[in-house]
Amino acid sequence: MTAKLPPGLQLEKEDDKIMTLNVGPQHPGSGHMRLIIKVDGDFIVSCDPDPGYVHRGEEKMAEYRNYITNIPHLERPVIHDSCNILYPYVLGVEELLGLEVPERAKYIRVIAAELNRIVYTLYWLGIYGIFLGHSTMFMWPMGDRELAIDLLEKLTGARVTHSYFVPGGIRNDAPANFEDVCIRQVNYLEKRLRTYGDIFYDNPILIARTENTGILTREDAIRLGTTGTVLRASGVDFDIRTKEPYDVYDELDVHTNVLKNGDSYDRSKTPWLDMLESCNIIRQALEKMPKSGSVRVKLKPNPKGGDDEVYKRVESGRGSLGTYIVSRSKPEPYRLKMSVGSFRNLICLPYLLKGEKLGNMPAVYWSLNYWPVEADR
Amino acid sequence: MSVIAPKFKLSYFIKSLTDNIFWIIVLLTLIGIPIIMIVLIFVDLPVHDGELVNPFLAFTMIFHPELAVPFLKSIIYSDFFKIAAFPGFGFAALLAAATIFAERKLLAKMQLRVGPFYCGKFEGILQLMGDGLKLISKEIIIPAKADKPLFWAAPVLFVATAAAFVALIPVAPGWVVADLDLGLIAVFAVIGFFPIITVISSWSANSKYPFIGGIRALHQMVSFEIPLILSLLGVTILTGTLSLSEIVHAQENYWLIVFLPIGAIVFFISMLAELERIPFDLPEAESEIVAGWLTEFSGMMYGLVQLGSYIKLYAFAGLFVVLFLGGWQGPMVVPPFPEEIITEGIQAGPITVQIAGLPIVSQEMLNGTLWFTLKTVAVIFFILIPRGVFPRIRIDMLLSIGWNKLIALAFVNMFIAVGLIYAGILGPGGIW
Amino acid sequence: MSDTDSRKQEETETKLVVEKQDDLPKFEKEQSNKITEKFGSKTEIAFVKPDRVRVNVKKEDILEVASFIRDELHYDHAESVTGIDFPTDKEIEVVYHLGSYTDPKLGRQVLSLATRAPREDVPNPGNDSTRLPSLRDIFYSVEFHERECFEMLGVFFEGHPDNRRLLLPEDWADLPPLRKDFKIKGR
Repeated sequence: MTAKLPPGLQLEKEDDKIMTLNVGPQHPGSGHMRLIIKVDGDFIVSCDPDPGYVHRGEEKMAEYRNYITNIPHLERPVIHDSCNILYPYVLGVEELLGLEVPERAKYIRVIAAELNRIVYTLYWLGIYGIFLGHSTMFMWPMGDRELAIDLLEKLTGARVTHSYFVPGGIRNDAPANFEDVCIRQVNYLEKRLRTYGDIFYDNPILIARTENTGILTREDAIRLGTTGTVLRASGVDFDIRTKEPYDVYDELDVHTNVLKNGDSYDRSKTPWLDMLESCNIIRQALEKMPKSGSVRVKLKPNPKGGDDEVYKRVESGRGSLGTYIVSRSKPEPYRLKMSVGSFRNLICLPYLLKGEKLGNMPAVYWSLNYWPVEADR
Repeated sequence: MSVIAPKFKLSYFIKSLTDNIFWIIVLLTLIGIPIIMIVLIFVDLPVHDGELVNPFLAFTMIFHPELAVPFLKSIIYSDFFKIAAFPGFGFAALLAAATIFAERKLLAKMQLRVGPFYCGKFEGILQLMGDGLKLISKEIIIPAKADKPLFWAAPVLFVATAAAFVALIPVAPGWVVADLDLGLIAVFAVIGFFPIITVISSWSANSKYPFIGGIRALHQMVSFEIPLILSLLGVTILTGTLSLSEIVHAQENYWLIVFLPIGAIVFFISMLAELERIPFDLPEAESEIVAGWLTEFSGMMYGLVQLGSYIKLYAFAGLFVVLFLGGWQGPMVVPPFPEEIITEGIQAGPITVQIAGLPIVSQEMLNGTLWFTLKTVAVIFFILIPRGVFPRIRIDMLLSIGWNKLIALAFVNMFIAVGLIYAGILGPGGIW
Repeated sequence: MSDTDSRKQEETETKLVVEKQDDLPKFEKEQSNKITEKFGSKTEIAFVKPDRVRVNVKKEDILEVASFIRDELHYDHAESVTGIDFPTDKEIEVVYHLGSYTDPKLGRQVLSLATRAPREDVPNPGNDSTRLPSLRDIFYSVEFHERECFEMLGVFFEGHPDNRRLLLPEDWADLPPLRKDFKIKGR
């Protein structure tokens, strides 16, 4: 049986026409993972994703650290989206410990989370550009990302690994002139983002290349349990920010971007629309934010949760991000599980790539908004 | 205490100096003198005043500059100079290097970055030299199961074929390495070598990604050669010749792009595909097949392939200029050579020298070279621009463009050419 | 310490919360009632909180309950599959978090379906008694999650087509790493 063999050893010839390609981990178009792809001519016969090259055992490590010291390492899976990946954990711990977050902290959290979504998505977009051979689309987002990173640096003090959210609020208040700088930079960023449409999303070659490739129908998207941009590109209106609003998202006007076709083009366009929506949300939040006030609840050292469990989820750049914390009256969580969007979307890969052309592989693979490090945890 | 040479001793230093001198003398006598002998036997040395140039004559040239002019002339008009330096390889390599630098800076400006910046005092102008040195100094790794002779031969053959292509391009009136009556056919013959070399190298590497890349390159080049050749039928119909020099002569009044714009567009797109430039760089698509047929090349072997591909780029741009943009034709902008230097000589301090045989190259040649270079650079610019604007396309889209659209357009172009002649606009009695 | 003690009391109260009908969120209560009506004593409603319901079932009944949840309650996908090791109980718990995309009323809801498998002290993943029926035929989306659960805790899912390693190295020969007796060095 081939099922007994480790994946890398399935190289014996089943058919002379079929060639096995190891796409990754040392391949410019794979990221930190391996795709074992069998091709018949130019067509992919089967695809077996083999993640785990950057598995760090975050869940096991979390069982050894208390609720506060877990913060810095739990954001490591996606350092570009570190606020969002920490968000459900912090919300869960707050529910476990029964903390009430100050209003200003909630708004600043939303701003930081949306800025982080922009930072992550621009990085993703840059790589999507270079995967399709569009080098300008690689450089522009990488440069414009600096605007959002600068804002986050002003807010949190770190460029990527912020460790900004803590149970009971945020680590420190925003600096004095943050609001003016933020609104100016976000306005400029939005202007830049709109130019991406001209050079990338309206590009006839890009449209011809990604349209009708790797189509994920609405039924399949639901059946496979996909999430985030992949789900919304397939026509399912599901965004945790509107369906189950956390913090102050229920007071903001969040528009969910839903596209219909579910092909690579729609999947690549949804994150871009999301970024534009993020700019809107940040502007609203800056307007409604209380101008002063406490941002953090005083915590007892080494807090303990009860005999309880909590499952919290937020909408990250890659989709719904859930954290399941089982507490057994100890300072450490008994079990912590991160249900991440990348891992949930991974199941689409063998499904979508089967029967696709080899040239479509990067277009389909990266349109899944997949982040190998997050999927491995 | 010096960090660079912590154990410096004067005696060791003198010993190393004498050692070096010893080895230089030994190597020169053992290798240098035989080489000089071989050169003397096989190469026609320039003749001056009925006798061969000897060291004594060369020495006297320092004190009698007028003796140097015929010598220089005989060198410049020799075949070896033509092949190695001016219309041939050296000129092409220089333009190719300039192209690489311009491409990097241009792309950087498009992408809101600075590009090469630190190497060399001005704007990273020495970056290419640094890259070349790095490539030369790198170890050449050959896959264990590769077919070694073929694998070694492929980059060399690639550069050689590109240089052969360059040899056919006329740069100025009379300045072409090989002025063939059937120049256009020779161009197609040379282009036909590239897919073969690609397949040889990709097959001999015995690796999967080069193999896929080689097959893609084969598909791409073979299927785009057909529209490439068909688009040039219009040119031959209108000019009635296959010689590249005569095609240029025929465009004295009107450039052919005026009459055959469709042919020029078809030729340009096919050219991009033949050159494997974005958006047609599928054989090197790094996100799909690593580096395509270049995957297993390392060190200077990779450098040779890159050099060859940029020389090929220059040659194709030059071919486009020759065929559609009137080659060296252009208004005379180079000032005529001052007569008084020939009649009265150069006054330099206390010395007045009257030099016979000036000017070394004619005014037409300088003017032609200038216009040819300007036009070629413009065409190269248009070849480089798509890299910043377009993503890569897929192999099936590429083949469908080549086989369906471009071939149809090439036929349309041919009918336009025939129609122009039958309508009497061109040809005998027409405006041309 | 008094604070934690009082919280412990609260926790004991939440365990009894099923009997206090008034404070419970209404919609979630309806959901849990549907399950108890259909299956009676086979299922145990562990808690009903706002937007979160947890149902404990035995491993023999899980396929039946899962089908009911999919067909009648319209939960259509699994968000995560979590394995939790309880060495004191000699059991491994597997929790499926189920959500719904098709039913707009269920947008906020996450239903936890938990079951337990026997645990062996000397595990031999795939060949010992730590087995559960796979839910892949009911919720297709659990495929990779169950693979992860298999390698991390050694729970073999019967009926799963592809019980292979996913994240761990191919030559992993140690204990399944998320079991409690697998200790991180230096901790």
